[in-house]
Amino acid sequence: MSSIVEQELIPEAKKTIPRGWIFAGIIVVWAIIGKIMNGKYTLAVNLADQTKMSASINDWANHLGQNRQSNPFFVYFITPVREFISGLVDFIRSVISVPLAHSSIPMLGWLGIFAVIGFIVFITSNFRQSLFAMAMIFSVGALGLWTQSMDSLALVLTAAILSLIIGIPVGIWAGLSDRGLAVVTPILDLAQILPTLVYLAPVALFFLIGPAAATIATMIYTIPISIRLTAFGIRGVPKSPVEASVSMGTTKWQLLRHVQLPMASRTIVLGINQTTLAALSFAVIATLIGAPGLGDPVVQALVLRNVGDGAVAGLAVVLIAIMFDRSTSATLKKQGIYVPPSEKAIRNRRIGIGIFGAITVAAIVVSRQFKWAAFFPESINVSKPIADFADKFTSGAVDHFGFATTGLNTLITETILNPLESLLTGTPWFITSLAIVAISFLLGGARSAIVTTILLLAIVSTGLWQDTMVTFTQTIVATLLTMIIGVILGVWIGRSERADKVLRPFLDAGQVLPAFVYLIPMLGFFGPSRFTGIATGIIYSIPIVVKIVGQGIREVPVNMNEAAISAGSTKWQQITKVQLPAAKNSLLLATNQGLIFVLAVIVIGGFVGSGGLGYLVLVGQSKVEMTGKGLVAGLAILLLGVMIDRIAQYTVRRNSAPKQ
Amino acid sequence: MTSSHSAISVRNLWQVFGPNPENIIGSPDALLPRAELRAKTGNTAAVRDVSFDVAPGEVFVVMGLSGSGKSTLVRCLTRLIEPTSGSVVMDGEDVLQANGSRLRELRRTKFSMVFQNFGLLPHRRVIDNIAFALEINGVKKSERHARAQEVVELVGLRGFEQAYPEQLSGGMQQRVGLARALAVDPEVMFLDEPFSALDPLIRRDMQNEVIRLHKELGKTMIFITHDLDEAIKVGDRIGIMRDGAMVQIGTPEEIIANPADEYVADFTRDVPKSHVLTLRTIVRPQADGESVSGVSLDAKTIIRDATDAVVNAGGAVTVTDNGQSIGVITANDILRIVGSGASA
Amino acid sequence: MTGKTKVGFKLSAIAGAAALLLTACGGAGVDAGSTASAASTGAPCGSYTIAMHAWVGYTASAQVLTNVGKSLGCDIKQVKLDEAKTSYDAMESGTVDLIVEDWGGGRWKDWVDRGAVVDLGSDGNVGQIGMYVPKWMAEKYPDITDAANLNKYADLFKTPESKGKGAWLEGPPGYTTIGEKLISANKLNYTAINVGSEQALIDAFTKGTENKTPVIGYWWTPHYLLAKLGLVRVNFPKSTWTDAAKADGTTDYPASDLEKLASKKLATSGDAFSKLVTNWKWTNDDQNAVASDIDGGMTPEAAAQKWIDAHADVVASWTK
Repeated sequence: MSSIVEQELIPEAKKTIPRGWIFAGIIVVWAIIGKIMNGKYTLAVNLADQTKMSASINDWANHLGQNRQSNPFFVYFITPVREFISGLVDFIRSVISVPLAHSSIPMLGWLGIFAVIGFIVFITSNFRQSLFAMAMIFSVGALGLWTQSMDSLALVLTAAILSLIIGIPVGIWAGLSDRGLAVVTPILDLAQILPTLVYLAPVALFFLIGPAAATIATMIYTIPISIRLTAFGIRGVPKSPVEASVSMGTTKWQLLRHVQLPMASRTIVLGINQTTLAALSFAVIATLIGAPGLGDPVVQALVLRNVGDGAVAGLAVVLIAIMFDRSTSATLKKQGIYVPPSEKAIRNRRIGIGIFGAITVAAIVVSRQFKWAAFFPESINVSKPIADFADKFTSGAVDHFGFATTGLNTLITETILNPLESLLTGTPWFITSLAIVAISFLLGGARSAIVTTILLLAIVSTGLWQDTMVTFTQTIVATLLTMIIGVILGVWIGRSERADKVLRPFLDAGQVLPAFVYLIPMLGFFGPSRFTGIATGIIYSIPIVVKIVGQGIREVPVNMNEAAISAGSTKWQQITKVQLPAAKNSLLLATNQGLIFVLAVIVIGGFVGSGGLGYLVLVGQSKVEMTGKGLVAGLAILLLGVMIDRIAQYTVRRNSAPKQ
Repeated sequence: MTSSHSAISVRNLWQVFGPNPENIIGSPDALLPRAELRAKTGNTAAVRDVSFDVAPGEVFVVMGLSGSGKSTLVRCLTRLIEPTSGSVVMDGEDVLQANGSRLRELRRTKFSMVFQNFGLLPHRRVIDNIAFALEINGVKKSERHARAQEVVELVGLRGFEQAYPEQLSGGMQQRVGLARALAVDPEVMFLDEPFSALDPLIRRDMQNEVIRLHKELGKTMIFITHDLDEAIKVGDRIGIMRDGAMVQIGTPEEIIANPADEYVADFTRDVPKSHVLTLRTIVRPQADGESVSGVSLDAKTIIRDATDAVVNAGGAVTVTDNGQSIGVITANDILRIVGSGASA
Repeated sequence: MTGKTKVGFKLSAIAGAAALLLTACGGAGVDAGSTASAASTGAPCGSYTIAMHAWVGYTASAQVLTNVGKSLGCDIKQVKLDEAKTSYDAMESGTVDLIVEDWGGGRWKDWVDRGAVVDLGSDGNVGQIGMYVPKWMAEKYPDITDAANLNKYADLFKTPESKGKGAWLEGPPGYTTIGEKLISANKLNYTAINVGSEQALIDAFTKGTENKTPVIGYWWTPHYLLAKLGLVRVNFPKSTWTDAAKADGTTDYPASDLEKLASKKLATSGDAFSKLVTNWKWTNDDQNAVASDIDGGMTPEAAAQKWIDAHADVVASWTK
């Protein structure tokens, strides 16, 4: 796969020929055959041309659309579900964002919403968090995105609540029953590697573009999170209280209600936190299928390469995310403390709730009576300076470092990207497949090779071999670069507390910010090109890689380091000979995660000239005759994702050092 | 002792993990040592053909090294782990035959359990932990709190009712565990290494506490431990387990005096025999010409307790059983025993 | 759960219930009279949503209709939405009511057939797609405007992205494109590159014009940029097709009328906005004037209003 990764994967030489040599041999043979048979059997298909599969799916999709009103599956299932969810979103929007009929304001004006949010956070955590949340929501208004934020909030709340309603019971089931876990696990695993872009189109096909489809797509993304964390929480409950309770004759229900749920509540609240944050970050991309809210300005800014507007909208998303995160985290902290409050504390809190509640009610009333309290004051608007700053910063960077960004783009494109792409796409498909299977065998063993073979054949049968290989190339290159940067940064934060303190906020923010948001400045830096998508993929996946590597380095036993130092090794030797080899499992895990994260973003690179499968999905989204091809491209992304994940998993399994 | 008079009567209890466990029991494989059985069939016999009876009001200690199956055994008795076969009769009813709801009823009323790791609910106050068993049985809040309060007094937790378990020390937490087990006024209490997680000093306090509670309440107890000193201290009788089987059952004295095999002997070697054995075990006929001091002691007296009297008697001491002389002992006899105990 | 939070929840429930009650009882009466909607001058008019596509010309058309519609007392909202299928589906699900400029040449047929979308005919604009080069190139290489000579210049257009051939910048996704077919049918030594958005094309043409770097790409009229940069069209043989899916790639893009599409609700309501949309028609120059102002930094609202104020008679003819 890549030389760096490869080095990590080779265990101490057991075989006569080192795997590195075999690997190089495969590449050389592959390249030579590729040179000789270049351009033959490459399964190239023009963008506008159909494959067998895409044509039939197109027909099916059209048929589906035409029978929307008569097909009982639609009439009795899809349509009612759509209407129910639509109704829910519309209801919440009518409370906070969309004016009611015969009115110009929603049920609550901005002041009312502001107070209600503060009040809710006060009840679930504390006064400080409540002030903080109100400051965040006020800032969002000051960014001039009040209505969009409320629209996003409505969608996020609907999606999060429905996700929890479904996810928590399923999670409980998977937590209590081994069979439940067995049923749920493969679905959760698949959901984890499924790039978000893939399921937008199918969901829109069934539920039509609109808030309902956006909510459902968001739920597909968030339900697995709530299931996973709930199940994890239930399974993590210490055994002895459960056993003690059973020995007292609890029924299953009593056990769940009085023991397992309360003791898992921290993890479940964490699940609520994660579900909500994920819904928020998804709400941006869900704009593509009709989500109202903050995604609008982001996508608009992307299309217009408007870095400033994109930055403002992105900032709003981050502020709301911080608000959710901080207030649920505070609740979480509270959950773990079992110290009885004093009488006085209880009384003070009651008084506090009473006063805050009264103020909230007053604010609601006022917000429905007076214009200043109904509409967020337009005079408070800081979006322009922020947008201007972001614009100037980016254009300044482009002006001053344009030579560097262009140079970097050209360098990577011509030295790695183009040769690798022509190797993967220009060689006959069966030779490329053979090479991939051989490498898969080398990395993950026989089972890995078998699974890879099946998935490659499935990809070939979609007819989108070329585009898949284009996307695969970009994924490999982006992961390679991610690992180089990620390992350097990871070693840095693993070795230095200071570095960790400096970098962590960026890493955290990077994980919250939807990739769409920084796609925009990347477009500014690198123009429409494959490297723009790659750069975005790198930025998206670096936080997780750095965190995992840093953690791995930090967990290297102290005595190993001390032994190395006392043996007189240099810092460099200490890193390369002791820490990195000892953190091998973390490096493997980081590579696996990096690949999956990169793939998820590489496909949205279609927006900025990356081509490949992602672009087909986008085209399928907007051109009727390309619907089928877009869906097939989604399928191909899925197959590619599963293939990458399987190879990585088998590699990890085969090469992991045994746990100490 | 027969099962009709027992508080609990266990017969031929088996617990085999692994595939088709029922095929193992009764087959020649059942007699294989554990490791061989696992190699051959993939099964592990955690409890092998265990039978014993516990009299009402008795403290029966099950003792063994870790992995000997004692914890599995106690869980089989309460069916926290389902035994593979056998019977566990309480009040003429086989617990193993009870259906789900009957089993819950038994657990709520007839027996209760104390755990090594306490098993307290961290999100409930002490009082609500203690009242939990009553709560799940549908007892009204005022009633169950009143009952819990009684038990609080009993185990010395007064003043801590409103605390959360995490605020208490380990010893105090296990008092909550004891109180919780007592709250339902059970007929039989199972204590699974209740003090293993505690400091030695606190452990001693808690052992005394159990002895006191037993004296006051007279509950039948089945007490699991890996500590022979503890077993001797609290137990009326001790059952010693090895590799899932019960290798010897007897009073502490019987076990120390006549270990059934090397394994048991290994255990008992380090126990100060003078602390366990009674004069009965060392009494001997009066030798010719031996002078008798005129002091007499009952045969049931523990040797240690007799030491002063015998050493100060200035001659052989007469040992009596029900007033009848059964022989004599001298200071030398006692010192031999004490000396062997101290050799550890 | 601690007693503390239990109390919290009880109280919060009470407060919440009180708040809800207030809200419910308040009803329309409480609703801020002071904040009431725009003054209504004409006949009662409904509430409609316009699908906003990404290009500036579209914004110009939509904004003019929005301004006029609002002045008629209609409640007009705008929602940013991808073109074609995305918007048709949205129309079918009732999310949007109007597309002011569709280039699709009939791709809406299925939706029209099942009554989800109504074709209101041409909006007066005539669209023409083609391949364009910056003015300086047409001056320096006069014969480049004939597609037959493109191969001669292919090397000029090489970039890292185009892998040894000329870089042929294709239109954004969703736009009608036959670039790959043109390349293969005319045996051109070019690679079609999908740049992803209109802005990327604007950037490329602007840079190409300012820095005199060679660029060839997809462009169209009506669009203010065409005149601003003076892009020159490369001529392929005259178009012989109307449905892009059936084009063989030997001939150029056709000129096509740009269509107004409406939801069934809007098309049949007969209210002021419905009439406005049906009557509305304007020229490429009209649209370019507004679009150019927007590009120059005016808000769409102001740019549209400027045009409306200057063309009162035209607007009057729409609202009759």
